[in-house]
Amino acid sequence: MFVAAALALLATMILTIVRALSGPTLYDRLLAANSFGTKIVLFIAVYGFLAGRPDFLDIALVYTLINFVGTVAVLKFYEYDDSVGGDYQEDDY
Amino acid sequence: MKIYPRQHHRVLQVITRLMVPFVLMFGLYVQFHGDYGPGGGFQAGVIFASAFILYGLIFGLHRTRKVLPPSTLRWLVSFGVLLYAGTGLLTMLLGGNLLDYDVLASNPLSGQHWGIFAVELGVGITVTSVMISLFYGFASKR
Repeated sequence: MFVAAALALLATMILTIVRALSGPTLYDRLLAANSFGTKIVLFIAVYGFLAGRPDFLDIALVYTLINFVGTVAVLKFYEYDDSVGGDYQEDDY
Repeated sequence: MKIYPRQHHRVLQVITRLMVPFVLMFGLYVQFHGDYGPGGGFQAGVIFASAFILYGLIFGLHRTRKVLPPSTLRWLVSFGVLLYAGTGLLTMLLGGNLLDYDVLASNPLSGQHWGIFAVELGVGITVTSVMISLFYGFASKR
């Protein structure tokens, strides 16, 4: 059961890698990279149960957080050309 | 190329406000649960710092500096190292070897527990503040 899930996840990871390498636009690549991160999170969780070590769920959670921060940082870099400059930030609401 | 100038990124701001407390909470969990599961001071420090980095990316460096000023960070960097070294020196003063936790309490088991607790706390504080200092240093560069 878990082996089948892990193999299916590996197949989708290969597909997202292909999209990330051949994506025509930047946003295709970014979306592929982000979804590859999500696949890694799922794979860590599945592998944790496969190996009988559910502690791996902690590592999967960490990977989710770092993946989110990384995607936001890269998107912001391309939108504003610097990572924390942006005009909108000084607005207090 | 700015397609949408001066937009407020409302979704990102709301999601960040929701996520930051949980990231901090998870960092503390990794710090203090490190004896029983995966984790420890270094990992907890990086997770704790990533919450501040996320806040800085969304709400700007100015507001992050108000939350955690660089002058405080400099104190925290040294405080973590001093906590680590101080634990080691305390064990030496109590008659053991360097970082020989057995002498810290009446029985060796709880001595080990408190010693590792203090050392990991020192590592966590230093790693957190060094990571945030690195972020400040790179992000404020023009």
